[in-house]
Amino acid sequence: MSAAAQRRAAPLSRARRTALGLVLPLAALIAWELSARIGEVPSYLVAPSAIFATTWEMLASGELWQHTRVSLLRALGGYAIGGACGIAMGLLAGIARPVERFYDPVVSLTYPVPKIVVLPILIAWLGAGDASKIAVITAAVFYPTFINSLYGAKGVNRLYVWSARNMGAGPLRVFAKVILPAALPQVLAGLRIGLALAFIVMVACEMQNSRSGLGHLIITAEDSLRFDLMYAAIVAIAIIGFAGDRLLLWLRRRALAGQAIGKEGAHG
Amino acid sequence: MASAVLRAVARWYPVPLVLAVWEVLSRTGAVSKRLMPSLVEIAAAVGAAMDNGDLLFHAGISLGRAAAGYALAIVAGVLLGVAMARSRLFDALFEPLFSFGYPVPKIALYPVFIFAFGLGSLSKVMLIFLECLYPITVNAFYGMRGVDRVHVWAAENMGATPRQVFWRVLLPGAAPSIFAGLRVALPISLIVVIITEMIGESRGLGYYISYASASFEYATAFAGVAAVAVIGFTLDRLLVWLRNRVIFWERGAAFIGAA
Amino acid sequence: MALLEVRELDKVFRRGARAVQAIDRFSLSVEEGEFVAIVGPSGCGKSTFLHILGGFEPHDGGTMLLNGAPVRGPGPDRGMLFQEFALYPWRSVIGNVAWGLEVQGKPKAERIAAAERYLKLVGLSAFRDAYPAELSGGMKQRVALARVLAFEPRILLMDEPFGALDAQTRELMQEELNAIWQETRNTVLFVTHDIDEAIYLADRVVVFTARPGRIKDEIRIGLERPRRADVRKSAEYMAYRNRVWDSLRAEVLKAREEFK
Repeated sequence: MSAAAQRRAAPLSRARRTALGLVLPLAALIAWELSARIGEVPSYLVAPSAIFATTWEMLASGELWQHTRVSLLRALGGYAIGGACGIAMGLLAGIARPVERFYDPVVSLTYPVPKIVVLPILIAWLGAGDASKIAVITAAVFYPTFINSLYGAKGVNRLYVWSARNMGAGPLRVFAKVILPAALPQVLAGLRIGLALAFIVMVACEMQNSRSGLGHLIITAEDSLRFDLMYAAIVAIAIIGFAGDRLLLWLRRRALAGQAIGKEGAHG
Repeated sequence: MASAVLRAVARWYPVPLVLAVWEVLSRTGAVSKRLMPSLVEIAAAVGAAMDNGDLLFHAGISLGRAAAGYALAIVAGVLLGVAMARSRLFDALFEPLFSFGYPVPKIALYPVFIFAFGLGSLSKVMLIFLECLYPITVNAFYGMRGVDRVHVWAAENMGATPRQVFWRVLLPGAAPSIFAGLRVALPISLIVVIITEMIGESRGLGYYISYASASFEYATAFAGVAAVAVIGFTLDRLLVWLRNRVIFWERGAAFIGAA
Repeated sequence: MALLEVRELDKVFRRGARAVQAIDRFSLSVEEGEFVAIVGPSGCGKSTFLHILGGFEPHDGGTMLLNGAPVRGPGPDRGMLFQEFALYPWRSVIGNVAWGLEVQGKPKAERIAAAERYLKLVGLSAFRDAYPAELSGGMKQRVALARVLAFEPRILLMDEPFGALDAQTRELMQEELNAIWQETRNTVLFVTHDIDEAIYLADRVVVFTARPGRIKDEIRIGLERPRRADVRKSAEYMAYRNRVWDSLRAEVLKAREEFK
């Protein structure tokens, strides 16, 4: 930017930025609330105050938490399995050429395919319970964690490995003390994408076929025209999605303290 | 010639290997043959569905919805990302919506979308639009912000107008990042179209697959899965091809979507 | 009056409550056709000065007159050569060189002819259709030089242009720049931390103090022109070298103190 342009656009102060950031959400909320009270909107647009009240009530009665717990169990179950497999195989493929060459064609063929397509078939195999949902989430999480771990391990500076070898480190030590920390930023980036996918697939599975969980709650509430309940479930989903992401970011900051934090990663 | 064949075998052998394992599992009955039909049966189901036009019909519907939502998201996302990168006001207004909304599964809003936009294609297109908007906007924003400042300076030094700087420096400089966003959004558009069609619809591949499995026609369901796989793979290859043509100066660089 | 007049230039970097005086009442005049080199310890503000003069960064006080007119914002009267080359990877070599003229609205035939002329001057005619990614560092900087020369600025601003090159390439580039200058006689303001480069190329070497940057010393280099490569072995050259180094040494030590 030119000197003249820079003088014109002095950076906004933090307070002003925050205030401006609140403009759109607050305006939308107020408009929503007012129009719902006046009654000029279709019934599915329940007033935010009513949504808040219902959410509070369901929290107090424990009903919301029950569904949230079921959903979280599925999402995190699939996340743990898919993430562990993805990282282990990805790192292995990143350091061993034959392993990479084995996975590469299969992964590159199936990577752009939405894993959710197999859900109805998995339900037939594993039943409509938790297992089929966890299986789909596992598959969805596997890809981004695998690809990012692979690139992370492959991208490790050869000089780091050579210098460790030079100091007499064996293969195990090189892996644990050099490759793992060097690949960590990208592994974590994969885990972050995987977490977002886990929640998306969780909601999708539960909406499609389930007897419990937040996605199920949304669908049944919608069927019985209990829109306040539906929004309470949506709010709960938004909160766990957001909180999970922030938790992961916090973990990443701690894990990478001192390392320059690598930005972003590959998506599966 | 012989070495080219050998190289192809060395690269692709795992694919027939996986298929062979499938076939063995199916034929030996290790997994119920009804649940895991043999490849021959699946191929026959694909043939039948192609003959009666079912597969093409449903694939066309799904593809049309995904493409509509995706295209809308490209237009809006690039414009919004560019506006946020260029204007501090836009940045301050929209940045929180994107940083807070990014990790939230927007798919949960589908019932609301059904009420707002009906049970037909529009609700699905809008949801695809919303889900794809996030990665595309964020990548366009970072791409514009990440343009090397000496590239801008060199242009200004020659006397380039802000307009010239935008079209000739900032946009090409941001193009790799914009394409990375497109690659992230592509599978998302397919996920959303399939899942919304599974939930409540009588057309599209998502419906086709869930209907076939519900009526225990597993070979037919797998035919639908194969169709989705072919579509996803082909679209991704197309995008990679297009990206390498547009961003010819970075052809060798890794092209993985950054979220 | 000199071509370039800088008077009492001030620059302060502010980060939150902290303010660092980067440049302190710096004055300099450069005559038409003169080659002036600025040397100084790293972080002394010499590159910042060039960025301000280029119009890319704002300053906090003082005036800058080019040909009697005040400098405002970036403009093609001051051709800038960056250490990072700043070539556009999506433009071919000829496309990069011709772009400055395109921006100025010159007709296509004219700008291609001019670009080819300057490519020839830097010895890269054979690479006219190559892309920057295919070139070595030295070649990239030669393309960037042709690009700047092509839009015919009144003064060339060079910001450590050979700083990213290896030692051998750097020395060859210095010789080449010397030969090109002999032909074009441009007015040049050249920032570097390399004493040999400064003495070999310049008519006058200006020594910057450690932060805040101001003029510590000015040494007129009387080496005969055209200068051949072996001038670096002469006793006269060594005397200049010792003189500049004595002046700079104290500043480098001071700058090192600051990091402790």
